[in-house]
Amino acid sequence: MSDLLEVEALESGYGRIGILHGISLATGGHNVGLFGPNGHGKTTLLRTISGVIRATRGKIRFAGEDVTAWPARRIVELGLLHVPQGSRLFPDLTIRETLRLGAWPRRARPREARNLERAVAIFPRLKERWNQPVKTLSGGERQMVAISVALMGDPKLLILDEPTLGLAPRLKDELCAAIRQVSDEGVRLVVVEQDVEFLLDLADHLYLVNHGEIAAEIRPGESMNHQAIMEMYFGRELGPLT
Amino acid sequence: MTVLGQILLSALFQGSLYAMMAVGLALVWTTIGVFNFCHGVLMTLGAYLAWQFVDPEALGLPMFVALPLALLVVAAIGFALQALLIRPFIGRGDVVLVAVITTLAASSILKNGTLLVWGPRPKSIPPLAPDTIALGASNVSAHQLAIIAITPVVLGLVWLFLNRTRVGLALRAVAQNEDACQLVGMNVTALYALAFGLAAALAALAGIFFGGFKFMSPDMGTEPLTKALVVVIFGGIANITGPILAAYIIGLFEAVSIYYVGFYWTPALLFAVLIVVLMVRPEGLFARSSRGLA
Repeated sequence: MSDLLEVEALESGYGRIGILHGISLATGGHNVGLFGPNGHGKTTLLRTISGVIRATRGKIRFAGEDVTAWPARRIVELGLLHVPQGSRLFPDLTIRETLRLGAWPRRARPREARNLERAVAIFPRLKERWNQPVKTLSGGERQMVAISVALMGDPKLLILDEPTLGLAPRLKDELCAAIRQVSDEGVRLVVVEQDVEFLLDLADHLYLVNHGEIAAEIRPGESMNHQAIMEMYFGRELGPLT
Repeated sequence: MTVLGQILLSALFQGSLYAMMAVGLALVWTTIGVFNFCHGVLMTLGAYLAWQFVDPEALGLPMFVALPLALLVVAAIGFALQALLIRPFIGRGDVVLVAVITTLAASSILKNGTLLVWGPRPKSIPPLAPDTIALGASNVSAHQLAIIAITPVVLGLVWLFLNRTRVGLALRAVAQNEDACQLVGMNVTALYALAFGLAAALAALAGIFFGGFKFMSPDMGTEPLTKALVVVIFGGIANITGPILAAYIIGLFEAVSIYYVGFYWTPALLFAVLIVVLMVRPEGLFARSSRGLA
């Protein structure tokens, strides 16, 4: 298989509480979108994939390696970068310092200058706040820094957990265009997002996560419209009111 | 020498020792989030190991070999202590309390170990600089002046390390957001070990300073640890600049108080001032509300 990321019958959770009950998915050559109600395991799935929490069962393969039992830092070295939901990053470090830390993985060091240039090209606004502590930034700016930090790690696969959470609509469009640009440069995406339009814009392959399982799947090429997704979300036909 | 000169000299000298100890404590607190009660005994070990390496009755190595060697060995001991006493409990909600118990226990064991190995007879190591220097009308020990000069350099280097190098940045980052550190690929436990080792080396250096002008005893680290605790509480544990400033302020306060009020009442007065400071500024004099090294 040439899948960059492949998840097989994955189970995980916190302590004795199981959250994921056998999730399987694969990226193929596409960007993957995950959606579904809150509290049903999307974030847990991402945290398990990136090695922050351990899988209790199942398998995760990334870039040809079985990374199921690997610690997060080794998975990062392979090129899987995870931008967590609403990360406050390092409040007292400046943008410059934070991005420098982003180039921590050994494989990203030789390309540090190039990656920095790319991040600044995508988010020119960061240059204006270059030496400001991250805690003084707005939510949108902080999200840009968070994505830039991941870009500094030279990702093959970028995992984004609700990147637009709490952002103004205008900023959402800006962020969406920026993420599209990243994807066009050859970085595959796994995106969790509540904003369906945003998700449709970025992902070709969608999974609905419900009760810790994949409840439905829309493969690339299959019709994906807003209506169909809303139906999947709510599990019923929607009347003309929407 | 004038009274003012003597007071200032004493303040700078004591302040240097306090700063050297307090920065190590603050470093461990800000990165790992625990208080290290072994810190005083690490200072003791630094002094005794330096004695072991340098004294003609023991190994008799030259100073420039013995002192760095002592620092390295104590750093390694700090590294090992961290792996034994703290790392197993990281992630538990009560890690702060557990670490108090484990580091206190280790401190007691090491203190008595020192007594067993080296015995109760007071020892001393040769001063960094043996001469006295004429300053104005009176003579001042060159060892004390060396300490006053070396301390800001060492602490300045620590500051540069924390602010200008990528690893130093990582140490500051791990204090602020451990999860995010993992996600950029850092080895968080290795960073903890580094912080602890560095703190231990600073304590050992303080021990070497101490052993050059006073007699060493297995209990010599207790009082400096208490002082360092006062300093970090006074200055705030949010970063390393607060404790450094606080160390010199407390050094000055003590020098003034010992001259005018007397040796006997100085500790009581110091604690009274500390209590007032904590009532007015519970975070410490120079602290902001968030944790982080800078």
